[in-house]
Amino acid sequence: MKKLMATFAFGALLVAGFAVAQDSPADTTMEREPSVFSISHDSSLF
Amino acid sequence: MEIGPYIKLHRIKQEMTQAELAEGIVSFAYLSKIENQKTEASSNVISLLCTRLGIQLNNETDETIRDKCQQWYEMLFEVNDKEELIKTYKELNSLMYEHHSDSLIMFEIHKIRYFLILGEYEKALTQINRLADMSGTFDSLHQFYWYKFKGNYNTAKNEFNQAMRMYKIAEEKLNQLELSEEKIADLQYTIAVTHSKLRNTLEVIEYAEKAIDIFRKQYNFIRCAQCHIVLGISYRRIRMYDKAIKNYNLAKHLGQLSQNKQIIQLANQNLGYLHSTKGDTKEAIHFYEEVVDDQEVVLVERVAAATSLIKEYYNVYNFEQTKRMISRSLELLETKNMYDAYKLFYYIIYTYDYAIKKEKDKFESLVINEFIPYLKKHKDYANLVIYTNMVAKHFEGYNRYKDAVKYYKLANITYEELVSL
Repeated sequence: MKKLMATFAFGALLVAGFAVAQDSPADTTMEREPSVFSISHDSSLF
Repeated sequence: MEIGPYIKLHRIKQEMTQAELAEGIVSFAYLSKIENQKTEASSNVISLLCTRLGIQLNNETDETIRDKCQQWYEMLFEVNDKEELIKTYKELNSLMYEHHSDSLIMFEIHKIRYFLILGEYEKALTQINRLADMSGTFDSLHQFYWYKFKGNYNTAKNEFNQAMRMYKIAEEKLNQLELSEEKIADLQYTIAVTHSKLRNTLEVIEYAEKAIDIFRKQYNFIRCAQCHIVLGISYRRIRMYDKAIKNYNLAKHLGQLSQNKQIIQLANQNLGYLHSTKGDTKEAIHFYEEVVDDQEVVLVERVAAATSLIKEYYNVYNFEQTKRMISRSLELLETKNMYDAYKLFYYIIYTYDYAIKKEKDKFESLVINEFIPYLKKHKDYANLVIYTNMVAKHFEGYNRYKDAVKYYKLANITYEELVSL
């Protein structure tokens, strides 16, 4: 039980550390580069 | 373009073997020599071969073709009208088919980019494969575009390392060419974006600054705005938030001057993300909300904003709004029957949907059996960390500590993988 709690605490620390890490991994769906293709007003293709 | 490679290109386009084309005219071995410029055939032989291929040897229209080609090439790089692009392509295709033109190879190479812009990736690949045999006869200018557009294909398939290799080869060709500054800047911008995908932050800044210097001199607001967004992302990643915000705001301002909604809302999406990473949920939500309801914005950006809002509202326990955004996201996705292209968003939406409704079994089944394997397969380490962490917390909530630890460990391993990239 103690081992489990310790590991769990480690996991919580990991999460906290992850949140303050220097180059926190960007959520690749949410941080969006512009396209290398043309910008167009046609939303279906470009 | 020399007649030999020209004949070869047409033969390949028509899917004829050398034996089929040569039959009754010359031996196929001799045809091979003609195609590879190892011999000069008589005008009679050339004429017979061209007749069989349906080619007219008439240079009167060559200048017309050249001008039209230039016009079409420009369309492939700037804000353009899709209908016009396709119409001009069809006209050129007919002209090229019927007349011998020096512009043929360059036209065929530019078709790669054309197909990519239309989302026809299979056709782009077919074109690449068709031209591969001929690439040995390309001059430096042909090679520049050949490698650049092959890189574009890799970009479209999210193969960023391979894309970078292609772009770098194209970049080396610049020493042998006298290209316009605009064309150089476009390659530099493309390399900047690719470095951003690969998270090479300092290189992004280096290339984006080079590109923006040129676009600025040309008062090309939209291209400058694109560079500012790429720079904003990089500054955010190295936690220079003020500089990031400044770049995003510059992009928005330029977008407003050009009346380009895509640019404005792309900047808003990234501003939302920046504030989200700073823990400023209210600001993040404000920017995401700007994007979601703007009907002029491309669907993928609206869906990205909607799913961002799901996460923001969920993280502050505003479940009413979370549910609203889940419905909104699904509504947006219903407009397109492109499940595969938007699969990631579907996974995110249903993950939160099941979490909110406390549908424990569905949540576990989706995330553990489908979502996490999907993220592993696509090497999407960033999302893998987020969602393994979410599963771990889920198990923690049910006092299933062994399972919680398992997923915290997976999050840890994935994070180490991510930072070693």
